[in-house]
Amino acid sequence: MNIAKVFRAASLAALFLALPVVAADLPPLSHGLTHQAPKPAPALKLRDLDGKQHDLGKLRGKVVLINFWATWCPPCRREMPSMERLAQTLAKEPFTVLAVDVGENTDTIEAFVSQLDVAPTFPILLDTDSRTMTAWKVGGLPTTLLVDKKGRVVASAIGGREFDHPEMIKAIRKLTRE
Amino acid sequence: MRYLVPTLLALWSLPALAATEHSVDPATGLATWQTETRGIQVRLTQISPDQANAFYQARGFSAEAAAHYTEQCVFMTVVRNVGAVPIEYRLADWRYRTEGQPARAIRSKAEWDQLWQRLDVNDPARIAFGWAQIPATQVYAPGDWNQGMTAYAVPRGARFDLDFTWQVGDRQLSGTLEQVQCADEHR
Repeated sequence: MNIAKVFRAASLAALFLALPVVAADLPPLSHGLTHQAPKPAPALKLRDLDGKQHDLGKLRGKVVLINFWATWCPPCRREMPSMERLAQTLAKEPFTVLAVDVGENTDTIEAFVSQLDVAPTFPILLDTDSRTMTAWKVGGLPTTLLVDKKGRVVASAIGGREFDHPEMIKAIRKLTRE
Repeated sequence: MRYLVPTLLALWSLPALAATEHSVDPATGLATWQTETRGIQVRLTQISPDQANAFYQARGFSAEAAAHYTEQCVFMTVVRNVGAVPIEYRLADWRYRTEGQPARAIRSKAEWDQLWQRLDVNDPARIAFGWAQIPATQVYAPGDWNQGMTAYAVPRGARFDLDFTWQVGDRQLSGTLEQVQCADEHR
């Protein structure tokens, strides 16, 4: 990130103060995944913050956690650090995270990321017109889907999660070893 | 034992009588109302007009366009499956009631979007608006939940009851969040 970007990020960070969050009374995050009958994942081909294209179809052989989110969505913001801890925990296993932001630009997302104690190491993809979310039939934010090594959606989670909860890690690790 | 199953079935079909809990955030003065009954939790937290205006203007709404929404009474709304089986709801079936007024439906995202198009609100702002509202319909597995906004055409400071419905299998259930109060103008 160059100096101009950092400056822009700092200015945009002020916008987040406007988020209507009642910090002292936040609803708790869950930690379960809902397993479902495997079905082929829709296409997902999007650019990341650096303009690099990512294609879910090329990630066969890996378990992929796809998280649909936005910076203004309070539970999305809260679960993001645990998603990074999950990615670090499973770094040596055939597993990756794709975080798909809906409707926002690079500056806005970088402003949010710059506020995190640990910056995400996984790609953040841009679904600017929300077409990918619609294709994936996402009803609300955040929504997380788990794709197995064969490219099939096998589990989902609607609403904020603690992704590094032992139950979550166990369920994902089981898939990486199948 | 002969009467146990029919009795339980009858009780299951009665409207929920769960109490509404009320709390106030000491830091912001904004209030929350919550009820939990038969597998569903519904929670409304006040959003002040200033907060709502700032939020939507930061996402690309003009002050005039945002005011159409924020002149209503806006709440951060949480719907959560706290039970052990899937539940489903349809926001169009929910009604809110103020004293002396007929029950009204919550204005839908689609209706708001028609207004935004007439007012030439840009696409990113419309997308953000759509996703910032509580979903129109949703199926929740145990542990699933959403947080999003709902708006009610109620005067500042006025109180209303929210009658919410949800489904478990083919059973339609209902509950009420009682005496929810619209935030004051400058809270």
